[in-house]
Amino acid sequence: MKHSCVAFRSERKGVAASLALLRAGFLVGTVLPLVAWGMDGGAPPPEAAPRLSHPAVVLKDEGGHNVLTTGQPISTRRTCGENCHDYDFIANSFHFQQGKSEMDRKLLSSHGVAAFNSSPGMFGKFSIIPNRQLTHADIQNPSDADMSQPEWLTKCGGCHTGGGISEYDLRGQPLLGSDAHASGPLDPSYTIRDRNLGRVVPWDWQKSGVTEGDCFLCHVPRASRGARRKEMTAGNFRWANNATLAETGIVSAAGDGTFLYNRAAFQADGAVKPELLDLSDPTLENCAMCHGFTARHATTIQPIQHADIMRGTEKSGWIYNGANISDTVSPKIAGKEKMTYPWDAHAAKGLVCIDCHFAPNNPGRMIHDDAAKALRYRPRGEDVAVYLRRPDHNFARGNIPPETVNLTRHNTMRGCGDCHDAVKGHAFLPYKTRHFQALACQTCHIPAVHFWAYRSDDWGFLMDTGTSRITFRGIDGSITDPDSELTGYLPAYIPTLDRNQRPQIRPTNLITGVYWFDKRARRPVFTWQLQQSFFSGRDRDGDLSYRPEIVKAFGDKIGFIDIPQAVYDTPGKIALVKGLLQQHGGVAEPELRVDVVPWAMSHSIVGKKQAIRECTACHSGNSILHRPVDLNTFLPRGAPVMFGGKPVNVVNYAGKEPTFDNRPLLASFYIIGDSRSSWVEAIGWASVIGALLLVLLHGALRFWRGRS
Amino acid sequence: MTSPQASLYSLHERIWHWLQAAAMISLIVTGFAIHYPDRCGVLGSMATAVRWHFWIGFALILNAFLGLFYHVTAEKYHHFLPRMEDFTGAAVRQARFYLHGIFQGERHPMETDPRRKLNSLQKLTYLALLNILLPFQIVTGVLMWGSDRWPQAFERVGGLWVLGPLHTLGAYLFLAFLIAHIYLGTMGPTLGSLLRAITRGDSPAAEPAISTVGDPVSEV
Repeated sequence: MKHSCVAFRSERKGVAASLALLRAGFLVGTVLPLVAWGMDGGAPPPEAAPRLSHPAVVLKDEGGHNVLTTGQPISTRRTCGENCHDYDFIANSFHFQQGKSEMDRKLLSSHGVAAFNSSPGMFGKFSIIPNRQLTHADIQNPSDADMSQPEWLTKCGGCHTGGGISEYDLRGQPLLGSDAHASGPLDPSYTIRDRNLGRVVPWDWQKSGVTEGDCFLCHVPRASRGARRKEMTAGNFRWANNATLAETGIVSAAGDGTFLYNRAAFQADGAVKPELLDLSDPTLENCAMCHGFTARHATTIQPIQHADIMRGTEKSGWIYNGANISDTVSPKIAGKEKMTYPWDAHAAKGLVCIDCHFAPNNPGRMIHDDAAKALRYRPRGEDVAVYLRRPDHNFARGNIPPETVNLTRHNTMRGCGDCHDAVKGHAFLPYKTRHFQALACQTCHIPAVHFWAYRSDDWGFLMDTGTSRITFRGIDGSITDPDSELTGYLPAYIPTLDRNQRPQIRPTNLITGVYWFDKRARRPVFTWQLQQSFFSGRDRDGDLSYRPEIVKAFGDKIGFIDIPQAVYDTPGKIALVKGLLQQHGGVAEPELRVDVVPWAMSHSIVGKKQAIRECTACHSGNSILHRPVDLNTFLPRGAPVMFGGKPVNVVNYAGKEPTFDNRPLLASFYIIGDSRSSWVEAIGWASVIGALLLVLLHGALRFWRGRS
Repeated sequence: MTSPQASLYSLHERIWHWLQAAAMISLIVTGFAIHYPDRCGVLGSMATAVRWHFWIGFALILNAFLGLFYHVTAEKYHHFLPRMEDFTGAAVRQARFYLHGIFQGERHPMETDPRRKLNSLQKLTYLALLNILLPFQIVTGVLMWGSDRWPQAFERVGGLWVLGPLHTLGAYLFLAFLIAHIYLGTMGPTLGSLLRAITRGDSPAAEPAISTVGDPVSEV
């Protein structure tokens, strides 16, 4: 399989038009699959399991009155939580808190989360992909302010469902409560960094309002994340949950940031028509809006929605789809004719996300094993009425590195072995227990990825858009070009801890980040600091202008800087930018670093016919387990390489392009046929060759003496 | 002196020897197919080589115990028991013969007969082979085979990182022994006399020396 990438230079600028085109394409894509499905005669998707209807609901405002009469925003606290569901219990779970409830230094350090993170979740954790971080609550210096709570909501609130993170400040006080107040001029709950002014300014919560937990985003099949995202981005938090219902026919945008209610969508008793709201368990499509491309049977795959790349797809290229790869109409999949098998074997069987990622206290789905008590089955389950009132929204999850989110709930989901009897299903395999201990099921059952995914995000040098340089693997061309051919890619293998805390080899996509780290402040350098250092200002067209020193050092003959020029190929260039960061960015001790981040794969599972069965795939001198995976072409040689938060040299610069060298990571695995003990080989071959030579010498002498 | 017609090896010994030889060669071949699976795919898949390696290994262990049983019950174990002199003068004389005397046409320092089949160096070699290397290979091999069955015992001795290289080293030493063993099998009165002795039961002493220098003696 061919490894390829294309520089995806900032979706923020030139790609906006492409995304608009894509959105149009997506609309077409929603029709095409149906047409193609009807034409190709492929196996129909499995039918969804029958479900019970949710009773009709009266939509209430924060005063508890029917919104139809008041016209006020919907309050889910009142609508869902007043009589039936325990809103505060639900909103205290990870899907609403996103790490806010885990802002505990001891918890973080005990799980190896770097100290510069304030939480293990998306609300508080630094991530190389946006190079942003929620500002710590206790900062004293403006240079430590990056993304405040309101800015986080504008950037990330499209997906992250409100509730805890958008109703309460970082000290736990209600943002609109009578006691709400900033603890100081830098309090990240009540301020935002103004990009134009370059300083921290107050945020007006009274104007923006807060967003209550958005139950609709996950429980209304026709929820609109796009409409919600638009309101969140605009800082119109109060109406964001109404926006989620924009495609149900219940509400419509008034044009002034408010939403109107469609009387025809309501019954005579004031309740909304149940068939329009259609409240249900989260469907594949609900989860897909935020987590990755997921569909029961789609022949058109478009993981870029509302200018966002779905997280799961961008990180490792997984596609949870029951349709055959060969039936894919768009995008173009190289060699798809031979791939007459589903994108994901589980999706083809009709499994939905919540079959594995269920509410832990759902009596219909809960795992009964309790290893701590040696209990196989717990007959005294939770009463369904209790569950419906207080459903645990800390959904069962696995443990895929490098995700640290929801730390205390790792490895709570169903594993492969909870459904499959692997021993019975692998009759051909010797040493089953050893193999199952050493290898995650995904290692053989995700032999290749047939989609694109991030390859690198380079924040070491800012492009003229003020952002990073992103490259992808698995595609020839741009990800926004419908004519680009998807070549897919082969995974890299790293050891991770299984649910028994034993190292296990599993497939990953490697995303290599290049970034500046402030050794004095012990945290990554923020984007605004980089921008102040790289650019002197904006030109007449509003475009950013590089500083003259940057142009002189990196520009071509006419001073132009594009991807080929933006390379740290000499120590002098690194030293130059380091000086600029100190001079203009307020960075005391900058250091350029390379961080190779493995994103584990769990979806895009193939069945036994497509899984790796050849022993020599792993057991050979050319083992795939040590496959040299290409990294970012532009890696600055000599920069410290980080892996898993520690300096580990996993980059091999010996070839034409830097590649991933996992031998230091897999050193604890003895792979027969691949691992060699040098001293054993030396002694062994010396004894064999020595015996042969002695025999030949002795025989020759005997022959010679016999003749003479 | 040995009777000209007396056979050096009984039928039991010959069958045992060739079974052991076949097992050992098969183990070396399948072992290499496992150690170098991409370069030595003699049996198709590696899994097949692994399975054959197990079965043949257990056959070799069974045969080794049958051999031990035979030598003990037939009171032939004394052939393998070195005396004090075998560690000193006799061994030196034997070594000197191989390194020098054989090229000078000297007589073999020890004549063999059905009651005294092994010279001093053979006794010392088999002492190490049968009491150290063979048990070592059996133990490391069985532990690796049993890694699924007795994982704790397997891990206690260091797992594959210890057992794999050690078992491989033992295999190399067995191969080196095999090379020397086959060569020394040509040191009878004729190049093939010892081979005939261990196959057909012929007496090597009955054959005239025609192509080798040295005394007729069993070297295997």
